[in-house]
Amino acid sequence: MSEPAHAPATFEDAQRELERIVIELEGGRASLEDAIALWERGDELYRYCLAKLDSAEGKIEELGRRVDEARP
Amino acid sequence: MKVEHELRGDRKVFTVSAFNRGVSSWLTRLPTVWVEGEVTEFRRQARWQSVFFTLKDSGDGSCLPVSMPRSGFDALRLELADGMTVQVFGRPELYAARGEFRLRALTIEPLGLGAVLAGIERLKRRLAGEGLFAPARKRPLPLFPRRIALLTGNEAAAKRDFVTAVTARFPASRILVAQTYVQGARAAPALATALADLAGEPDVDVIVLARGGGSFEDLRPFSDERLVRAVAGSPVPVVSAVGHEQDTPLCDLAADARASTPTAAARLVVPDEGELRQRLSAFRSRLDRAPLLLVERKRAALDSLAGRLRALSHQSTLNRGYAIVRTDNVIARNAADLTPGQRVEVELAQGGFGARVEETRP
Repeated sequence: MSEPAHAPATFEDAQRELERIVIELEGGRASLEDAIALWERGDELYRYCLAKLDSAEGKIEELGRRVDEARP
Repeated sequence: MKVEHELRGDRKVFTVSAFNRGVSSWLTRLPTVWVEGEVTEFRRQARWQSVFFTLKDSGDGSCLPVSMPRSGFDALRLELADGMTVQVFGRPELYAARGEFRLRALTIEPLGLGAVLAGIERLKRRLAGEGLFAPARKRPLPLFPRRIALLTGNEAAAKRDFVTAVTARFPASRILVAQTYVQGARAAPALATALADLAGEPDVDVIVLARGGGSFEDLRPFSDERLVRAVAGSPVPVVSAVGHEQDTPLCDLAADARASTPTAAARLVVPDEGELRQRLSAFRSRLDRAPLLLVERKRAALDSLAGRLRALSHQSTLNRGYAIVRTDNVIARNAADLTPGQRVEVELAQGGFGARVEETRP
Protein backbone atom coordinates (compact mmCIF):
# COMPACT_ATOMS: atom_id res chain seq x y z
CA MET A 1 0.00 0.00 0.00
CA SER A 2 1.23 3.43 -0.94
CA GLU A 3 0.85 6.45 1.35
CA PRO A 4 -1.85 8.83 0.09
CA ALA A 5 -0.51 11.40 -2.36
CA HIS A 6 -1.64 14.18 -0.05
CA ALA A 7 -1.19 12.51 3.32
CA PRO A 8 -4.04 13.51 5.62
CA ALA A 9 -2.88 15.31 8.76
CA THR A 10 -4.80 13.00 11.07
CA PHE A 11 -7.01 9.95 11.12
CA GLU A 12 -10.00 12.24 11.57
CA ASP A 13 -9.10 14.30 8.51
CA ALA A 14 -8.82 11.10 6.49
CA GLN A 15 -12.15 9.80 7.73
CA ARG A 16 -13.87 13.11 7.07
CA GLU A 17 -12.45 13.29 3.53
CA LEU A 18 -13.49 9.70 2.87
CA GLU A 19 -17.03 10.50 3.97
CA ARG A 20 -17.10 13.56 1.69
CA ILE A 21 -15.90 11.49 -1.26
CA VAL A 22 -18.51 8.77 -0.70
CA ILE A 23 -21.26 11.37 -0.54
CA GLU A 24 -19.99 13.13 -3.67
CA LEU A 25 -19.77 9.87 -5.63
CA GLU A 26 -23.24 8.86 -4.49
CA GLY A 27 -24.51 12.24 -5.63
CA GLY A 28 -23.71 11.13 -9.19
CA ARG A 29 -22.79 14.56 -10.49
CA ALA A 30 -19.10 13.85 -10.96
CA SER A 31 -17.75 13.27 -14.45
CA LEU A 32 -16.50 9.76 -15.16
CA GLU A 33 -12.88 10.95 -15.08
CA ASP A 34 -13.42 12.76 -11.79
CA ALA A 35 -15.29 9.76 -10.41
CA ILE A 36 -12.33 7.51 -11.08
CA ALA A 37 -9.95 9.92 -9.39
CA LEU A 38 -12.34 10.31 -6.46
CA TRP A 39 -12.70 6.57 -6.06
CA GLU A 40 -8.95 6.09 -6.08
CA ARG A 41 -8.52 8.76 -3.44
CA GLY A 42 -11.31 7.21 -1.37
CA ASP A 43 -9.65 3.83 -1.64
CA GLU A 44 -6.34 5.32 -0.48
CA LEU A 45 -8.01 7.04 2.47
CA TYR A 46 -9.80 3.88 3.52
CA ARG A 47 -6.55 1.92 3.45
CA TYR A 48 -4.80 4.70 5.35
CA CYS A 49 -7.45 4.68 8.12
CA LEU A 50 -7.41 0.92 8.37
CA ALA A 51 -3.62 0.85 8.54
CA LYS A 52 -3.72 3.45 11.31
CA LEU A 53 -6.12 1.29 13.31
CA ASP A 54 -4.19 -1.88 12.66
CA SER A 55 -0.81 -0.40 13.46
CA ALA A 56 -1.89 1.36 16.68
CA GLU A 57 0.09 0.06 19.62
CA GLY A 58 -1.08 0.43 23.18
CA LYS A 59 1.37 1.93 25.61
CA ILE A 60 1.05 3.35 29.08
CA GLU A 61 3.87 5.64 30.11
CA GLU A 62 4.58 7.74 33.16
CA LEU A 63 5.76 11.30 32.99
CA GLY A 64 7.96 10.63 36.02
CA ARG A 65 10.90 12.89 35.64
CA ARG A 66 9.12 16.18 35.22
CA VAL A 67 6.77 15.53 38.09
CA ASP A 68 9.67 14.73 40.37
CA GLU A 69 11.25 18.02 39.42
CA ALA A 70 8.04 19.79 40.35
CA ARG A 71 8.35 18.32 43.81
CA PRO A 72 10.26 20.53 46.22
CA MET B 1 13.78 52.57 75.15
CA LYS B 2 17.03 54.30 74.60
CA VAL B 3 19.43 52.40 72.37
CA GLU B 4 23.06 53.06 73.10
CA HIS B 5 25.35 53.75 70.24
CA GLU B 6 29.09 54.18 70.18
CA LEU B 7 31.20 56.77 68.50
CA ARG B 8 33.77 55.79 65.89
CA GLY B 9 35.39 59.09 65.14
CA ASP B 10 32.45 61.40 64.49
CA ARG B 11 30.16 58.53 63.29
CA LYS B 12 27.36 57.02 65.41
CA VAL B 13 27.56 53.23 65.21
CA PHE B 14 25.21 50.61 66.69
CA THR B 15 26.10 47.08 67.56
CA VAL B 16 23.90 44.47 65.86
CA SER B 17 22.38 43.59 69.17
CA ALA B 18 21.57 47.19 69.99
CA PHE B 19 20.13 47.81 66.53
CA ASN B 20 17.90 44.74 66.71
CA ARG B 21 16.73 45.64 70.18
CA GLY B 22 15.97 49.15 69.00
CA VAL B 23 13.91 48.02 66.01
CA SER B 24 12.24 45.37 68.12
CA SER B 25 11.26 47.94 70.68
CA TRP B 26 9.97 50.30 68.00
CA LEU B 27 7.84 47.51 66.47
CA THR B 28 6.01 47.04 69.78
CA ARG B 29 4.34 50.35 69.11
CA LEU B 30 2.50 48.88 66.12
CA PRO B 31 -1.09 47.76 66.81
CA THR B 32 -2.31 44.18 67.08
CA VAL B 33 -4.08 43.23 63.82
CA TRP B 34 -5.79 40.38 61.91
CA VAL B 35 -3.87 39.02 58.90
CA GLU B 36 -5.39 36.56 56.46
CA GLY B 37 -3.44 34.10 54.34
CA GLU B 38 -2.74 30.52 53.45
CA VAL B 39 -0.76 28.31 55.85
CA THR B 40 2.43 26.83 54.41
CA GLU B 41 5.49 25.18 55.96
CA PHE B 42 3.65 24.44 59.20
CA ARG B 43 6.17 23.17 61.81
CA ARG B 44 5.38 21.90 65.29
CA GLN B 45 7.55 19.78 67.55
CA ALA B 46 6.94 18.70 71.12
CA ARG B 47 10.29 20.04 72.32
CA TRP B 48 9.84 23.47 70.75
CA GLN B 49 8.45 26.34 72.75
CA SER B 50 6.59 27.72 69.73
CA VAL B 51 4.98 26.50 66.56
CA PHE B 52 5.94 28.10 63.27
CA PHE B 53 4.41 28.49 59.87
CA THR B 54 4.41 30.90 56.96
CA LEU B 55 1.34 32.83 55.90
CA LYS B 56 1.15 33.17 52.16
CA ASP B 57 -0.81 35.66 50.13
CA SER B 58 -2.81 33.64 47.61
CA GLY B 59 -2.74 36.61 45.24
CA ASP B 60 0.92 37.45 44.71
CA GLY B 61 2.60 34.86 46.93
CA SER B 62 3.96 37.35 49.49
CA CYS B 63 5.07 35.55 52.63
CA LEU B 64 4.98 36.33 56.33
CA PRO B 65 6.58 34.08 58.98
CA VAL B 66 4.34 33.45 61.98
CA SER B 67 5.13 32.03 65.39
CA MET B 68 2.86 31.19 68.29
CA PRO B 69 3.70 29.86 71.76
CA ARG B 70 2.99 26.16 71.74
CA SER B 71 0.82 26.15 74.88
CA GLY B 72 -1.44 28.81 73.38
CA PHE B 73 -1.52 27.03 70.02
CA ASP B 74 -2.35 23.63 71.54
CA ALA B 75 -5.15 25.18 73.56
CA LEU B 76 -6.82 26.25 70.28
CA ARG B 77 -7.17 22.57 69.26
CA LEU B 78 -6.75 23.47 65.61
CA GLU B 79 -6.05 20.85 62.97
CA LEU B 80 -3.81 23.29 61.22
CA ALA B 81 -2.39 22.03 57.91
CA ASP B 82 -0.68 23.44 54.86
CA GLY B 83 -3.08 24.90 52.38
CA MET B 84 -5.66 26.12 54.92
CA THR B 85 -6.70 29.72 54.80
CA VAL B 86 -6.60 31.30 58.25
CA GLN B 87 -6.87 34.65 59.97
CA VAL B 88 -4.12 35.32 62.49
CA PHE B 89 -4.52 37.90 65.24
CA GLY B 90 -1.11 39.13 66.30
CA ARG B 91 1.51 41.80 66.30
CA PRO B 92 4.73 42.20 64.37
CA GLU B 93 7.91 41.43 66.19
CA LEU B 94 11.58 41.11 65.51
CA TYR B 95 13.27 37.98 66.75
CA ALA B 96 16.28 39.87 67.93
CA ALA B 97 18.72 36.97 68.13
CA ARG B 98 18.39 36.38 64.36
CA GLY B 99 17.14 39.73 63.12
CA GLU B 100 14.06 37.99 61.75
CA PHE B 101 10.80 39.76 61.31
CA ARG B 102 7.61 37.83 61.97
CA LEU B 103 4.07 37.96 63.19
CA ARG B 104 3.59 36.79 66.75
CA ALA B 105 0.20 35.18 66.90
CA LEU B 106 -2.12 35.57 69.84
CA THR B 107 -4.85 33.53 68.22
CA ILE B 108 -5.59 31.80 64.92
CA GLU B 109 -8.98 31.24 63.30
CA PRO B 110 -9.48 29.07 60.27
CA LEU B 111 -11.51 30.88 57.65
CA GLY B 112 -15.09 29.69 57.68
CA LEU B 113 -16.52 27.75 54.76
CA GLY B 114 -18.73 30.73 53.96
CA ALA B 115 -15.76 33.05 53.50
CA VAL B 116 -13.92 30.50 51.34
CA LEU B 117 -16.99 30.01 49.15
CA ALA B 118 -17.42 33.75 48.81
CA GLY B 119 -13.78 34.00 47.71
CA ILE B 120 -14.29 31.35 45.03
CA GLU B 121 -17.49 33.06 43.90
CA ARG B 122 -15.65 36.38 43.54
CA LEU B 123 -12.91 34.66 41.52
CA LYS B 124 -15.53 32.94 39.36
CA ARG B 125 -17.19 36.26 38.51
CA ARG B 126 -13.86 37.90 37.76
CA LEU B 127 -12.70 35.09 35.45
CA ALA B 128 -16.12 34.87 33.79
CA GLY B 129 -15.82 38.61 33.18
CA GLU B 130 -12.57 37.95 31.35
CA GLY B 131 -14.40 35.43 29.17
CA LEU B 132 -12.39 32.45 30.45
CA PHE B 133 -15.48 30.24 30.64
CA ALA B 134 -17.07 31.35 27.35
CA PRO B 135 -18.53 28.53 25.23
CA ALA B 136 -16.76 30.00 22.18
CA ARG B 137 -13.43 29.11 23.82
CA LYS B 138 -14.28 25.40 24.04
CA ARG B 139 -12.42 23.30 21.52
CA PRO B 140 -13.71 20.04 20.07
CA LEU B 141 -12.00 16.93 21.41
CA PRO B 142 -10.04 14.83 18.91
CA LEU B 143 -11.90 11.79 17.58
CA PHE B 144 -8.83 9.62 17.54
CA PRO B 145 -6.08 11.05 19.77
CA ARG B 146 -2.56 9.90 19.02
CA ARG B 147 -1.69 10.08 22.69
CA ILE B 148 -3.86 10.74 25.74
CA ALA B 149 -2.41 12.44 28.82
CA LEU B 150 -3.81 11.82 32.29
CA LEU B 151 -2.98 14.18 35.13
CA THR B 152 -3.95 12.85 38.52
CA GLY B 153 -2.92 12.38 42.11
CA ASN B 154 -1.22 9.39 43.60
CA GLU B 155 -4.56 7.75 44.29
CA ALA B 156 -4.64 4.51 42.38
CA ALA B 157 -8.39 4.46 41.75
CA ALA B 158 -8.71 7.39 39.34
CA LYS B 159 -5.80 6.17 37.23
CA ARG B 160 -6.99 2.55 37.21
CA ASP B 161 -10.59 3.49 36.34
CA PHE B 162 -9.45 5.73 33.51
CA VAL B 163 -6.92 3.34 32.01
CA THR B 164 -9.39 0.44 32.23
CA ALA B 165 -12.16 2.41 30.52
CA VAL B 166 -9.86 3.74 27.78
CA THR B 167 -8.34 0.38 26.91
CA ALA B 168 -11.78 -1.29 26.94
CA ARG B 169 -12.92 1.07 24.21
CA PHE B 170 -9.69 1.21 22.28
CA PRO B 171 -7.17 -1.43 23.38
CA ALA B 172 -4.24 0.06 21.49
CA SER B 173 -4.37 3.47 23.20
CA ARG B 174 -1.26 5.40 24.12
CA ILE B 175 -1.62 6.94 27.55
CA LEU B 176 0.84 9.24 29.27
CA VAL B 177 0.27 9.54 33.02
CA ALA B 178 1.55 12.34 35.25
CA GLN B 179 0.97 12.15 38.96
CA THR B 180 1.41 15.07 41.29
CA TYR B 181 -0.03 16.71 44.39
CA VAL B 182 -3.75 17.18 44.15
CA GLN B 183 -4.39 18.64 47.58
CA GLY B 184 -2.75 21.10 49.89
CA ALA B 185 -1.04 24.37 49.14
CA ARG B 186 1.45 22.88 46.66
CA ALA B 187 -1.25 21.23 44.55
CA ALA B 188 -2.36 24.14 42.37
CA PRO B 189 1.11 25.22 41.15
CA ALA B 190 2.21 21.58 40.80
CA LEU B 191 -0.88 20.75 38.74
CA ALA B 192 -0.44 23.83 36.56
CA THR B 193 3.21 22.93 35.91
CA ALA B 194 2.40 19.30 35.11
CA LEU B 195 -0.40 20.40 32.77
CA ALA B 196 2.02 22.54 30.78
CA ASP B 197 4.59 19.71 30.74
CA LEU B 198 2.03 17.25 29.38
CA ALA B 199 0.89 19.68 26.70
CA GLY B 200 4.51 19.94 25.58
CA GLU B 201 4.97 16.19 25.14
CA PRO B 202 4.95 14.94 21.54
CA ASP B 203 1.65 13.64 20.07
CA VAL B 204 -0.44 14.53 23.13
CA ASP B 205 -3.83 15.48 21.64
CA VAL B 206 -5.92 15.69 24.79
CA ILE B 207 -5.33 16.01 28.56
CA VAL B 208 -7.61 14.59 31.22
CA LEU B 209 -7.47 16.16 34.66
CA ALA B 210 -8.82 13.57 37.09
CA ARG B 211 -9.40 13.61 40.82
CA GLY B 212 -11.71 11.38 42.78
CA GLY B 213 -14.28 12.88 45.06
CA GLY B 214 -13.16 14.52 48.25
CA SER B 215 -14.14 17.08 50.80
CA PHE B 216 -14.67 20.65 49.74
CA GLU B 217 -11.25 21.45 51.18
CA ASP B 218 -9.66 18.60 49.18
CA LEU B 219 -11.01 19.99 45.91
CA ARG B 220 -10.01 23.59 46.57
CA PRO B 221 -6.84 23.52 44.44
CA PHE B 222 -9.11 22.86 41.44
CA SER B 223 -10.66 26.27 41.97
CA ASP B 224 -7.27 27.96 42.36
CA GLU B 225 -6.75 30.82 39.94
CA ARG B 226 -3.34 29.50 38.82
CA LEU B 227 -4.75 26.13 37.82
CA VAL B 228 -7.92 27.57 36.27
CA ARG B 229 -5.81 29.86 34.10
CA ALA B 230 -3.49 27.01 33.15
CA VAL B 231 -6.49 24.92 32.03
CA ALA B 232 -7.99 27.79 30.02
CA GLY B 233 -4.63 28.59 28.43
CA SER B 234 -3.62 25.01 27.60
CA PRO B 235 -2.65 24.59 23.94
CA VAL B 236 -4.13 21.06 24.10
CA PRO B 237 -7.84 20.51 24.87
CA VAL B 238 -8.47 19.63 28.53
CA VAL B 239 -11.20 17.39 29.98
CA SER B 240 -11.92 18.00 33.63
CA ALA B 241 -13.04 14.99 35.66
CA VAL B 242 -12.76 16.34 39.16
CA GLY B 243 -14.84 15.34 42.15
CA HIS B 244 -18.41 14.23 41.76
CA GLU B 245 -21.44 15.46 39.87
CA GLN B 246 -22.43 17.98 42.54
CA ASP B 247 -18.98 19.62 42.81
CA THR B 248 -18.20 22.26 40.28
CA PRO B 249 -14.65 23.41 40.81
CA LEU B 250 -13.72 26.36 38.61
CA CYS B 251 -11.37 24.24 36.48
CA ASP B 252 -14.50 22.43 35.24
CA LEU B 253 -15.77 25.71 33.81
CA ALA B 254 -12.47 26.53 32.13
CA ALA B 255 -11.99 23.06 30.63
CA ASP B 256 -13.03 22.21 27.07
CA ALA B 257 -15.22 19.36 28.31
CA ARG B 258 -16.37 18.08 31.65
CA ALA B 259 -16.88 14.51 32.81
CA SER B 260 -18.39 13.39 36.09
CA THR B 261 -15.94 10.49 36.59
CA PRO B 262 -12.65 9.26 35.13
CA THR B 263 -14.64 6.50 33.38
CA ALA B 264 -16.93 9.05 31.74
CA ALA B 265 -13.85 11.04 30.69
CA ALA B 266 -12.51 7.95 28.92
CA ARG B 267 -15.68 7.77 26.82
CA LEU B 268 -15.14 11.39 25.80
CA VAL B 269 -11.53 11.08 24.73
CA VAL B 270 -11.32 7.76 22.92
CA PRO B 271 -13.53 6.21 20.25
CA ASP B 272 -14.95 2.72 20.49
CA GLU B 273 -12.72 0.68 18.19
CA GLY B 274 -15.58 -1.63 17.13
CA GLU B 275 -17.77 1.32 16.11
CA LEU B 276 -14.88 2.96 14.32
CA ARG B 277 -14.18 -0.16 12.25
CA GLN B 278 -17.88 -0.58 11.48
CA ARG B 279 -18.15 2.97 10.25
CA LEU B 280 -15.03 2.53 8.11
CA SER B 281 -16.31 -0.66 6.49
CA ALA B 282 -19.66 1.03 5.81
CA PHE B 283 -17.75 3.74 3.94
CA ARG B 284 -15.84 1.01 2.12
CA SER B 285 -18.99 -0.65 0.78
CA ARG B 286 -20.58 2.66 -0.14
CA LEU B 287 -17.37 3.65 -1.88
CA ASP B 288 -17.36 0.41 -3.87
CA ARG B 289 -21.03 0.64 -4.84
CA ALA B 290 -20.79 4.26 -5.86
CA PRO B 291 -18.94 3.77 -9.22
CA LEU B 292 -21.44 1.11 -10.33
CA LEU B 293 -24.31 3.41 -9.52
CA LEU B 294 -22.54 6.18 -11.34
CA VAL B 295 -21.93 4.05 -14.45
CA GLU B 296 -25.52 2.84 -14.47
CA ARG B 297 -26.72 6.37 -14.21
CA LYS B 298 -24.40 7.46 -17.07
CA ARG B 299 -25.54 4.50 -19.20
CA ALA B 300 -29.19 5.38 -18.68
CA ALA B 301 -28.44 8.98 -19.66
CA LEU B 302 -26.60 7.74 -22.78
CA ASP B 303 -29.50 5.45 -23.79
CA SER B 304 -31.94 8.29 -23.54
CA LEU B 305 -29.63 10.51 -25.64
CA ALA B 306 -29.30 7.75 -28.25
CA GLY B 307 -33.10 7.59 -28.52
CA ARG B 308 -33.33 11.30 -29.05
CA LEU B 309 -30.51 11.19 -31.59
CA ARG B 310 -32.28 8.49 -33.58
CA ALA B 311 -35.48 10.52 -33.65
CA LEU B 312 -33.56 13.41 -35.12
CA SER B 313 -31.70 11.41 -37.81
CA HIS B 314 -32.43 11.92 -41.55
CA GLN B 315 -33.61 8.30 -41.84
CA SER B 316 -36.98 9.24 -40.38
CA THR B 317 -37.26 12.01 -43.00
CA LEU B 318 -36.42 9.60 -45.85
CA ASN B 319 -39.05 7.24 -44.40
CA ARG B 320 -41.61 9.91 -45.07
CA GLY B 321 -40.82 9.82 -48.86
CA TYR B 322 -38.06 12.43 -49.19
CA ALA B 323 -34.83 11.69 -51.11
CA ILE B 324 -31.31 13.11 -50.81
CA VAL B 325 -29.37 14.11 -53.97
CA ARG B 326 -25.56 14.32 -53.72
CA THR B 327 -22.88 15.32 -56.20
CA ASP B 328 -19.36 14.27 -55.20
CA ASN B 329 -20.74 13.53 -51.71
CA VAL B 330 -22.04 17.10 -51.36
CA ILE B 331 -25.79 17.46 -50.82
CA ALA B 332 -27.40 19.34 -53.68
CA ARG B 333 -29.55 22.18 -52.41
CA ASN B 334 -29.66 24.54 -55.41
CA ALA B 335 -30.54 23.51 -59.02
CA ALA B 336 -28.17 26.26 -60.26
CA ASP B 337 -25.22 24.20 -58.92
CA LEU B 338 -26.15 21.34 -61.30
CA THR B 339 -25.44 21.09 -65.01
CA PRO B 340 -27.29 18.83 -67.50
CA GLY B 341 -25.47 15.53 -68.01
CA GLN B 342 -23.90 15.67 -64.54
CA ARG B 343 -23.84 12.43 -62.53
CA VAL B 344 -25.72 12.50 -59.17
CA GLU B 345 -26.32 9.97 -56.41
CA VAL B 346 -29.84 9.67 -54.99
CA GLU B 347 -30.49 8.18 -51.54
CA LEU B 348 -33.94 6.80 -50.68
CA ALA B 349 -35.41 5.40 -47.47
CA GLN B 350 -34.39 1.97 -48.77
CA GLY B 351 -31.24 1.93 -50.98
CA GLY B 352 -30.39 4.45 -53.73
CA PHE B 353 -29.41 4.86 -57.36
CA GLY B 354 -27.13 6.80 -59.67
CA ALA B 355 -28.64 9.20 -62.30
CA ARG B 356 -27.76 11.95 -64.80
CA VAL B 357 -29.26 15.46 -64.83
CA GLU B 358 -31.52 16.00 -67.92
CA GLU B 359 -32.25 19.66 -67.40
CA THR B 360 -32.29 22.22 -64.61
CA ARG B 361 -34.89 24.79 -63.57
CA PRO B 362 -34.24 27.78 -61.44
